[in-house]
Amino acid sequence: MIQFFHVYKQYFRSNEALSDINLSIERGEFVFLTGASGAGKSTLLKLIYKEEEPSKGQILIDSVNSTLIPPARLYRLRRQIGIVFQDFKLLMNRTVHENVAIPLLVRGDRKAAVEKKVNSTLALVGLSHRKRYLTSHISGGEQQRVAIARAVIGNPKILIADEPTGNLDTELSIEVIRIFEKINASGITTIIATHDLNLINLFPKRIIKLDKGQLVLDRASEAV
Amino acid sequence: MKFMLRAVQQALTNILRNKSVNFLCLGIIAFTLLVPGIFSFISFHLDRYISRLSENIEAIFYIRDNSDSAAIEKLLQRIEGNLLVKEVGFTSRDRARLNFAREFPELEYILAEFSDSPFPASIDVKFRSDARSVVQIESFSRDIEKSSLVESVQLNMDWARKIAMIKKFASFAGMFLSAILLIVSIFIIFNVVKINIFYRKDEINILRLVGATDWYIKTPFLLEGLILGSLGGLLAGGLLLLTIKAFPVYAGFVFNIVKQLIDFRQLPLKIFWELLITGSAIGLLSAFMSLRRFIKTSPG
Repeated sequence: MIQFFHVYKQYFRSNEALSDINLSIERGEFVFLTGASGAGKSTLLKLIYKEEEPSKGQILIDSVNSTLIPPARLYRLRRQIGIVFQDFKLLMNRTVHENVAIPLLVRGDRKAAVEKKVNSTLALVGLSHRKRYLTSHISGGEQQRVAIARAVIGNPKILIADEPTGNLDTELSIEVIRIFEKINASGITTIIATHDLNLINLFPKRIIKLDKGQLVLDRASEAV
Repeated sequence: MKFMLRAVQQALTNILRNKSVNFLCLGIIAFTLLVPGIFSFISFHLDRYISRLSENIEAIFYIRDNSDSAAIEKLLQRIEGNLLVKEVGFTSRDRARLNFAREFPELEYILAEFSDSPFPASIDVKFRSDARSVVQIESFSRDIEKSSLVESVQLNMDWARKIAMIKKFASFAGMFLSAILLIVSIFIIFNVVKINIFYRKDEINILRLVGATDWYIKTPFLLEGLILGSLGGLLAGGLLLLTIKAFPVYAGFVFNIVKQLIDFRQLPLKIFWELLITGSAIGLLSAFMSLRRFIKTSPG
């Protein structure tokens, strides 16, 4: 469960990126986080995986106050959260397999277990045939799926995706959201930041809308 | 174990990935460590030379006439108790006369003119061989000389004093130059690790976000510094050996002068270890400094 209590975020000498955010996301929920560019979507996501600290307020992840987690223990939180970035953040000089295996390798998992998990995760995103390809040699849509596979391979409790369809055409975008639905069906809380209203309309999920750093809409499964 | 193996593998990959920068760095570290190595080598041999000289250093403390025998005994005990002293002997006035007569029988007639022994009693001291003892012997002798029983002291250590001064100067110059060059080495490794951190910036960021611990990220860089430093130290040892072997061949005229002081046949293992440990330490230190400066681990 993710809870925000009167959360504010202000960057140095700028307007508030987020202002008095109060929200609660239950375990296993699928949420679209929407709003125009600069509305504060990415900032809100960064606060969840603690890439940023709130200027004010409290954030609870599974009842743990994330603002109190010391840097040396941050890895424990990060292992519970899978992140898909808009720019994918893949290592282009490594193979698909190597990229997907990273979260398991940093945990010190055994080679055989890593191999097995990578295979099943690549099958989930439909990329088994690209396993030995260099990431730079596959298409943008496939790179997106590698990023998703890397985010879910460690069995996270929460999956966060920041504009995951930003670089994809409509057909591929729908395909990607379907993959997220499949992942969400296994009980992983899924939060997707997107400004693509057409896409949101296609999938009846909870919507949280931000505007200029303020939460302006929070409603379940209706078209905006 | 698995973690360390991965870290070593990663460190070696980093080094090989930026071959040119890392090999250049290695060469510079080796040359900067070579200079302290040369000074350490000279200093080592000067110490040994001084030590050999010290073995022959003797002090003779001449005792005033009519001194109290109990006081002399006390002084003897005091001298004997000093750690620098190997052997102490007391020569009475009569004994000194006999010694003179034995050593210079042709001059015995001179002694006949004296009813009493013309020689003062003395305490003869032999010192232990110790590399640092020259200064200590002087200080010890001055201390004993202050005793009211002692009339004068005879201490022949001019050569040892001169060599000690040369050694002191060599040590000082060596330390000064070494300090500068070690700072240069630290700066170089610091920057090489920095380049590697920037080269792998994206990967580091990904590792952080997928839940890698600080040490998982940092250890390969620390090992990289350690490997570069220790390899630099080893290379410096090799270069020093080469320099030592080449010196008598290419600088024969100087060699004749210094060969009595310095043994060019072998490189003491102690210096080799010193170079290796110094190299490793500066490698580790500069990598650590670079990591502290350039790897952000806490949220912004």
